[in-house]
Amino acid sequence: MRSSLRPLGPPVSRDRIIVSFPKWYTPDACLQHKEHFHGQVSAACERGDTGTVGLRLSKVVVVGDLYVGKTSLIHRFCKNIFDRDYKATIGVDFEIERFEIAGVPYSLQIWDTAGQEKFKCIASAYYRGAQVIITAFDLSDVQTLEHTRQWLEDALRENEPGSSAIFLVGTKKDLLSGAACAQAEMEAVRLANEIQAEYWAVSAKTGKSGLGWCTIMDAMGFSCHMLSSSSSALASQQTVRDGEGAGMEGSPPEAQETERPSSLGCC
Amino acid sequence: MADLESPQKLSGVPPPSERVGGSRCSEISTELIRSLTELQELEAVYERLCGEEKVVERELDALLEQQNTIESKMVSLHRMGPNLQLIEGDAKQLAGMITFTCNLAENVSSKVRQLDLAKNRLYQAIQRADDILDLKFCMDGVQTALRNEDYEQAAAHIHRYLCLDKSVIELSRQGKEGSMIDANLKLLQEAEQRLKAIVTEKFAIATKEGDLPQVERFFKIFPLLGLHEEGLSKFSEYLCKQVASKAEENLLLVLGTDMSDRRAAVIFADTLTLLFEGIARIVETHQPIVETYYGPGRLYTLIKYLQVECDRQVEKVVDKFIKQRDYHQQFRHVQNNLMRNSLTEKIEPRELDPILTEVTLMNARSELYLRFLRKRVSSDFEVGDSMASEEVKQEHQKCLDKLLNNCLLSCTMQELIGVYITMEEYFMRETVNKAVALDSYEKGQLTSSMVDDVFYIVKKCIGRALSSSSIDCLCAMINLATTELESDFRDVLCNKLRMGFPATTLQDIQRGVTSAVNIMHSSLQQGKFDTKGIESTDEAKLSFLVTLNNVEVCSENISTLKKTLESDCTKLFSQGIGGEQAQAKFDSCLSDLAAVSNKFRDLLQEGLTELNSTAVKPQVQPWINTFLSVSHNIEEEEFNDYEANDPWVQQFILNLEQQMAEFKASLSPVIYDSLTSLMTSLVAVELEKVVLKSTFNRLGGLQFDKELRSLIAYLTTVTTWTIRDKFARLSQMATILNLERVTEILDYWGANSGPLTWRLTPAEVRQVLALRIDFRSEDIKRLRL
Repeated sequence: MRSSLRPLGPPVSRDRIIVSFPKWYTPDACLQHKEHFHGQVSAACERGDTGTVGLRLSKVVVVGDLYVGKTSLIHRFCKNIFDRDYKATIGVDFEIERFEIAGVPYSLQIWDTAGQEKFKCIASAYYRGAQVIITAFDLSDVQTLEHTRQWLEDALRENEPGSSAIFLVGTKKDLLSGAACAQAEMEAVRLANEIQAEYWAVSAKTGKSGLGWCTIMDAMGFSCHMLSSSSSALASQQTVRDGEGAGMEGSPPEAQETERPSSLGCC
Repeated sequence: MADLESPQKLSGVPPPSERVGGSRCSEISTELIRSLTELQELEAVYERLCGEEKVVERELDALLEQQNTIESKMVSLHRMGPNLQLIEGDAKQLAGMITFTCNLAENVSSKVRQLDLAKNRLYQAIQRADDILDLKFCMDGVQTALRNEDYEQAAAHIHRYLCLDKSVIELSRQGKEGSMIDANLKLLQEAEQRLKAIVTEKFAIATKEGDLPQVERFFKIFPLLGLHEEGLSKFSEYLCKQVASKAEENLLLVLGTDMSDRRAAVIFADTLTLLFEGIARIVETHQPIVETYYGPGRLYTLIKYLQVECDRQVEKVVDKFIKQRDYHQQFRHVQNNLMRNSLTEKIEPRELDPILTEVTLMNARSELYLRFLRKRVSSDFEVGDSMASEEVKQEHQKCLDKLLNNCLLSCTMQELIGVYITMEEYFMRETVNKAVALDSYEKGQLTSSMVDDVFYIVKKCIGRALSSSSIDCLCAMINLATTELESDFRDVLCNKLRMGFPATTLQDIQRGVTSAVNIMHSSLQQGKFDTKGIESTDEAKLSFLVTLNNVEVCSENISTLKKTLESDCTKLFSQGIGGEQAQAKFDSCLSDLAAVSNKFRDLLQEGLTELNSTAVKPQVQPWINTFLSVSHNIEEEEFNDYEANDPWVQQFILNLEQQMAEFKASLSPVIYDSLTSLMTSLVAVELEKVVLKSTFNRLGGLQFDKELRSLIAYLTTVTTWTIRDKFARLSQMATILNLERVTEILDYWGANSGPLTWRLTPAEVRQVLALRIDFRSEDIKRLRL
């Protein structure tokens, strides 16, 4: 079972190597302000005893209204392409993306669900066991932001409380400009704080801030996975939250910038 | 060598040494000599001059020696003079000849070029003449053919005309016979238009009459007139009509079907199958015609038209299905029931069975049909695109994907499957609940009925999802089954284990029957007949043990289920179902399912620990504590007496045996093994405690050693693996208690330990030594360990 899922074959590409914890999109709505992995995670990685925590992969589920661009988001992330043609997702799409985080090979399983109401029955069967839940909405359509609440509720129902990291991702940023964008983002940040999610605004078309989001999503998934695998999962997660305030004025972001992969060129 | 050097010298490039001499020579000029006044200086100069003279003489000699050779060379050079003149003459002649030849060749080739040009022009002229003749011939032919209603011939003529080079025709019109050709062309164009009209009209009539040979006849004519698209669209129109009429007929048959019919339960699936088969047959029969007359790569167009009709018919069938089977109503009902605290009356899951089967069958048929289309069109494209660029190929593939994935059939089926998933989930959940509620245990069995029932149900549900041939459906069902097993069903078992194993006293076990009788007596005396007390504890005990077995079997069943599914799906994947990610999706969901097996294993461990601490430990502890009441500070006489009347260990073994026998009968071998392992560990730990509370003398130590040996011997027989390791510390304690003198320990300690690995720390060794009342504490303290 394990061997079939273990990432085999060629080494991961350079832009999929994450050394340190990626930076947030906005400090107003993020799950971790710190610039580094949680101490326990780093320690486990250094000890090299990550093998004992089971499969080194995280499950990511993408939910949200139809036509907000979930599939485009995933395609930009995994294949770095953007297809202008809209094609409704039928059933669920599936991608595996391999990473190397803090020296540990690691895979992300992305389940891209259908947004259409009539396909919801089948999509909801895939929510279980998700380490990362991405609720996507269209920045130019305030309705879709409202609906994320319902989507999240549905997804959380199938998961153990507190076991998943939540991301609120606004799409189609390229369609908005200046004030409208600021307005939409402000509302999104408010909601993100309410549902305790990390907020990102991206554009799959231009690829803007796409990669940062990808890496942080992966890093969060990884952290979550590692922490929940260790016995003191709850306690350590608590410390993550506690540490938030302290990390705010941490090392300057420039230091991070250089470490972050930039070869995708789309950002 | 000398020959070579001599001209050098002659030509006045003297070697450096002579140059030095030469320059001196010039230095010692007559003026210099004249200016000299001292004799000494004059002598010196003279001497130098003499020396130089000698050198010059030598050189002169050498040059003179060379004279002969140089002269002979000069002679031979003179002789060569005339030859050179001859060569020069020859070369000039040769150059002349070459120039001549060159000119000649140029002349010849220019003539050839002219000839070639002439030939080409001739060919063109012939071609044009041919074309003009053809044109005339075509015109005449078309007229005759049309008059004779030989449309194939007429179309062939038109085709020939259409294939002619337009510029040729244009040129021909400018010729002398321009006016005539013009007229001919006009006639031809008129004929073309007329033929088109006729063919379209005749085709329409044939279509209306359903005259297949005529339809095919005119269908073949369209491409000759350059009307590929029109031909295909008209033809598919005809085919669609056929499909529609057949489908309508079938649908009417369905509505008239008796509910008692053998296939009544899957009648809609059958109708869809007929529809798909019909279309497949059409593709099969007409593909060769299309390929022959329209060329490869055209099947896609035909299918595109046909799929529209297929979608229309599928919609009708599915609508009827939904209406007749109350599909949506049942779905809403199920949805209501699935909400935990719903008040609506529950649907009997068994009633859903036929409809679920039918839906999966419908989906399986559609998948098969879509797969058939994909294969056909792909291979047709492959032939057609064999020379095309990669881009065109991809574009075609994309079109095909879009057509098949986004057609109404796919969407409708996906919707049906979505509803199916919810209903199947309900079916599974309800049936599992029922199996749990109807759980029964038969004496002599290790497990109760619900485990087998639940796994039968889960297997059935996943199997049904699998039979839909939809990977998304299968994976969704595996996920739901995983959730069901992991939370709901595991909770059931977990709760049963939480009730615990009722702690009973030693007497209950030993005199179960008598105590039952006693209780009966007492209750009879009180005027009540109540055996519930004893029965319910027995029941609770049994229930706990059965649940343990159940948990273990669950864990195993999940692994088996995973393996079965894996092998079932390899066949499916080899057919290329569900696209490239299908296998990865399936593997991911399956590994989640397999992980549940471990959760059951964890639960089993929890249960065993619970059993060990609530049932085994309270029993074993008092038995072990009786060890304290047996003195190990004994004399020879008592020692011998112990030999005959064992004071402790035999009874202890007997008790253990009795207790474990109860478990052995009602636990699976694997669990029993784990339990005995836990029990032996417990015995070892507890025994160690009491030993440390006792005192010994030499014979007492010997007695303990004997007791320990028989205990280990017994435990070895009941466990499958070696227990020596668990008793290592106790054995070492026995060894210490058996020593003659304190210092004897050093024979076993440190460098003398040999193969023995001490499990006791030096402090513990001292502690054990101190248990021997006949050892002096100073001796023990003095020991160097």
